[in-house]
Amino acid sequence: MALVGVLLAGLATTAAAGPREQAKRMHDRLAGVPPTIAVLDQMETLIGAGNESGAADIAMQNPSFYNVTLKNFASPWTNREQSVFVPLNDYVATVIGMVRDDVDFSTLLSADLTYVGQGAAANPAPSATSNAHYEALEANNVDLSDTNLFNSTTQSSVMGIPSNATAGVMTSRAASEAFFVAGTNRAMFRFTLLNHMCNDMEQMMDFKLPPDMIRQDVSRSPGGDSRLFLNNCIGCHAGMDPLAGAFAYYNWNEDTGRLEYTAGTVQSKYFNNDLNFPPGFRTPDDAWENRWRQGQNAYFGFDESLPSSGTGAKTLGVELGSSQAFASCQVRKVFKTVCLREPEDATDRTRVDEITNTFRTTGYRLKQVFADTAAYCMGS
Amino acid sequence: MKKAIGIAPALAETGLLHRIKAVLGVLAAGAVLTACGGGAETTENPLTQAPNPGNSVYTGPAPRDNDVFQFQQEFWSKARTSERCGDCHNESVAQIPMFVRNDDVNLAYDEALGVVDVNQPSLSRLVTKVGGGHNCWVDDPNVCAEIMTTWIENWLGGNVAGGGRQIVLQPPVSVDPGASKNFPDDPSSFETLIHEPVLAEYCAACHSSESPNAQAPFIADPDIDTAYAAAKSKINLDAPENSRLVIRLRNEFHNCWNVGCAQSAQVMEDAITAFANGIDPTTVDPSLITSKALRLVDGTIASGGNRFEEAQIALYEFKTGSGTVAYDTSGVDPAIDLNLTPDVTWFGGWGITLNGGKAQGSTTASAKLFDILQESGEFSIEAWVIPANVTQEEARIVSYSAGETTRNFTLQQTLYDYDFQLRTNETSLNGDPALSTPSADEVLQATLQHVVATYDPINGRNIYVNGALVTNTDPVPGGTLVDWQDTFAFVLGNEASGTFPWMGTLRMVAVHRRALTPEQITQNFDVGVGEKFFMLFDISEVIQAAEQSSYILFEVQQFDSWAYLFDKPHFITLDGSTPEDIPLEGLRIAMNGQEIRIGQTYATMDRTLSASEFGELGQPLSTQGAVLGLEKGPEDDEFFLTFDRLASTSFNRPEDPVAVITPTNLDAQARIGLRTFDEIGATYAAVTAVDPTTPEVDVTFQELRQSLPAVEDINTFLSSHQVAIAQLAIQYCDAMVESNPTALFPGFNFNGVDEFGANRDAFVNPLIDRIMGTSLGSQPARADVYAELASYLSGGGDRPDNLVDRLRAGGSDTRAIAKGVCAAMLGSAVTLVQ
Repeated sequence: MALVGVLLAGLATTAAAGPREQAKRMHDRLAGVPPTIAVLDQMETLIGAGNESGAADIAMQNPSFYNVTLKNFASPWTNREQSVFVPLNDYVATVIGMVRDDVDFSTLLSADLTYVGQGAAANPAPSATSNAHYEALEANNVDLSDTNLFNSTTQSSVMGIPSNATAGVMTSRAASEAFFVAGTNRAMFRFTLLNHMCNDMEQMMDFKLPPDMIRQDVSRSPGGDSRLFLNNCIGCHAGMDPLAGAFAYYNWNEDTGRLEYTAGTVQSKYFNNDLNFPPGFRTPDDAWENRWRQGQNAYFGFDESLPSSGTGAKTLGVELGSSQAFASCQVRKVFKTVCLREPEDATDRTRVDEITNTFRTTGYRLKQVFADTAAYCMGS
Repeated sequence: MKKAIGIAPALAETGLLHRIKAVLGVLAAGAVLTACGGGAETTENPLTQAPNPGNSVYTGPAPRDNDVFQFQQEFWSKARTSERCGDCHNESVAQIPMFVRNDDVNLAYDEALGVVDVNQPSLSRLVTKVGGGHNCWVDDPNVCAEIMTTWIENWLGGNVAGGGRQIVLQPPVSVDPGASKNFPDDPSSFETLIHEPVLAEYCAACHSSESPNAQAPFIADPDIDTAYAAAKSKINLDAPENSRLVIRLRNEFHNCWNVGCAQSAQVMEDAITAFANGIDPTTVDPSLITSKALRLVDGTIASGGNRFEEAQIALYEFKTGSGTVAYDTSGVDPAIDLNLTPDVTWFGGWGITLNGGKAQGSTTASAKLFDILQESGEFSIEAWVIPANVTQEEARIVSYSAGETTRNFTLQQTLYDYDFQLRTNETSLNGDPALSTPSADEVLQATLQHVVATYDPINGRNIYVNGALVTNTDPVPGGTLVDWQDTFAFVLGNEASGTFPWMGTLRMVAVHRRALTPEQITQNFDVGVGEKFFMLFDISEVIQAAEQSSYILFEVQQFDSWAYLFDKPHFITLDGSTPEDIPLEGLRIAMNGQEIRIGQTYATMDRTLSASEFGELGQPLSTQGAVLGLEKGPEDDEFFLTFDRLASTSFNRPEDPVAVITPTNLDAQARIGLRTFDEIGATYAAVTAVDPTTPEVDVTFQELRQSLPAVEDINTFLSSHQVAIAQLAIQYCDAMVESNPTALFPGFNFNGVDEFGANRDAFVNPLIDRIMGTSLGSQPARADVYAELASYLSGGGDRPDNLVDRLRAGGSDTRAIAKGVCAAMLGSAVTLVQ
């Protein structure tokens, strides 16, 4: 403990950072582990030459960037408790793979894509009914930066659902188990909003929206007091319920342990407690509408070239993934991961905006976001 | 122009029908359509009339036919008693009409036909007369009207299946939406002008939640928001003299203060006038496309009449709305009127809200249940309930009991379940075991529900919620009610002892002397609860149709104390015209001069009005309902409709503004943080070159994983984290040293004796370099670290001040010292902090 105290005291008096210290921090933040002396020397040279991006690329070649940093970056998105202490799963694996391969990250919520172990790392095989494949990858510390050991495939082929029923990580096995289980499927929308638009429902309350698509299960007079509905419930449900219609055909089957998709048939959970308010909305299909394109929430910056409505989760994923809010949210999450803090002043926010613009205009490569952010937070 | 809708299912070709036709002979101007409201066919149940000891024996001629017999049984025998109508309207006093004459029930029947409305019994002359206060036998004339209506309905119901009746839609008075004063959000003016000088001064002794005699509405509550909310519906801003607060004093002489009622009322009116004068009227935006305006009470009553009530022996509809008595309006004597304790408040749109109190009848009156139900051997409890929450347990909703452990029957709530306890010769005196709804189904919800508990000896107990049977087979065989006690009290919302309160709202309660059939339960569920109106919003002018011809019809009710429900909009014409192809977009409901801000269900409507889609109520425009906040109350709120597009006119609605997010700066945050669990594990593996899947380190890591720092924030570091870090560091260093890592530490012999005596640098220097890095200003000074680990500094005393020599002095061997020095370095801040 004495040594810890001495060393902490030493750290607290750190002088201004030069390229070597900047390289060390950049590597620590990106890979989660300290660099070797050789790597540190290399990065120091690049930073000294003004090539921070090149230095970051070297740091991101460390397997720990994938096996540690990205894994823990995405793990909280895959469960309701937002716990990072969850086994590796297909949701996290997809995020890791998309970052590694510079896949257009705006397709995170819509692609027919997943990542699985290859060759010797494919045992047990990926399955729609088990997470054992990913737990084995983690237990064996398989190098996720190695394309020979870890690579992409179609989610539909693993999950056994039609390709047009896939919606990126929303229809991953992990997300399905967490957010399509029981309930009314609103959890899938709420947690997607929370994890990928960086807002919870409370921030989205818009009381001016028409409530005509609020389902029947929402009591209009909870406990006999309609003020609760008119002053609280309606603010969220008026926007959320029209969007969550996209998930009408999905359900996590707890008996079979897999996602079920019932094309053309609305899941019975959409009619739970339908006598709470019989003249409420009765879901006829998986159509969705984005009422947030008008009014106060239009600041989300939805893509004007897209329709404001559609059917199914995939088109909803496109709608969300193409928004300014989605891109900005990804950058803010990376900022927190790399800088270990929130953007705190105008300088930070300006840089976040710049990185977001770069992200949106250069193919939604999240690895670039990590590099740009690490350069910004490497110290000076 | 008018239209008769709904409601006359096949009348039996009886003598009564012929007489009705003869008496009325009219009402055929509009089409008589098929039943509305979903009423199912009813089955005829024989009604065994409870004895009425107050009647003298009838010795006149026998009823000439079944119609007269029904009249005698259901109406005449009840109305003829001396405290009701029998003192005057008889052959002796000869007060016309002599509908309760004792000499000849057939003549009484003929007289009665002239003063009843067989299509709408509630509009009968008999009803309006007692409802107006004419010799009502209880305090509330409306209760007499209800009871009289029930008698008439029961009389007619014997011949008219399903309680059929007609509703005639007549054009309301055409009124343009007018400017209206609306209550300001800020209650300060109310507080200054009305609350402080008048309400708090003269009304707080009762109408305050903090009063020992607390009596709703809490218009004088110390909490100004509570008082303001309660007072709004009692104040008429547009006509202060018509405010309920004024009328209560001026006309009803309700607790006037020492200056007399006239002066008290004037003080109240003056205060309200001053308040209203400070409010600018809200004028209707002239650019809006609007319908004509009307109030809820201008609508046509749409509710009632289709319930199955033939076996009903107690009924509470809670229509009184004030006072401390909830009346039994079943019309079956004796009435079990319920006394309300202060913790019971009236609920808007009919109902009572129980906040820990109870509504209890006398044991004498309650014995009606004993007398009738013990004889029938079967019964049903029916209620429209709104549980306040799903957390209360053993909370009595409807009970006929004596205390916590003694009851004839109880319907209660336990979390998400309804429980039905019933004393029979097969159960305990407490009615156990109870029959409960399945917990996993979470049948009970904190929202309006129709719940019916039935019992008969064959089928045992059953519970129906919202028309559906929700319980499994009663595990207890059916028995008899011979063990019932007639000394218990009928009580709502609590145990008779007051110890098991139920929090929630009752909007209707009934007891039937039969186990209702599923069809009868469905019938009553479909009817719903509360008073409903058909409201006709005139759009004739906008669509350029004949005057007062074309309307948007809504079914409207007061939904609860704070809102209205607008439901089932239709397009209808009353003059038989058949307009086609009229576009309608964006329908909104406006109140008191302005569009309602929240709850505009029909704002997205996009329809084409077309007579070709006319059904019973016209062209259905939506199956959905809109819950809209109440402002002044059902007697004063003035509604009209607005449209974004209707016929050839359209309104250019401005878009709602986009939120502007103004970021705020945060306090400066730390630029450094902690490595978290996986990062620590990976770091240790990297710098020690130990494979993290090595069983020894992997097991330790998995055990310690959640004890290591989980977030980077350096302010969250705990001593327990350091303990876990030390354990993991020791495990990694042990694995490293035991692997004899000479490649990492060239020249160092891990098997040598006292290798740290003279060759310590061969281990310590590479160790520092691997773990801390080299030439890093952001790490501690290397010399300081080395000194701590291996450099003998002071040279004095018995105890060396570097780690290596302290371990050597303790007799540790080379590997143990290596592990100790490694763990000290590895588990330190140089790896922990990033």
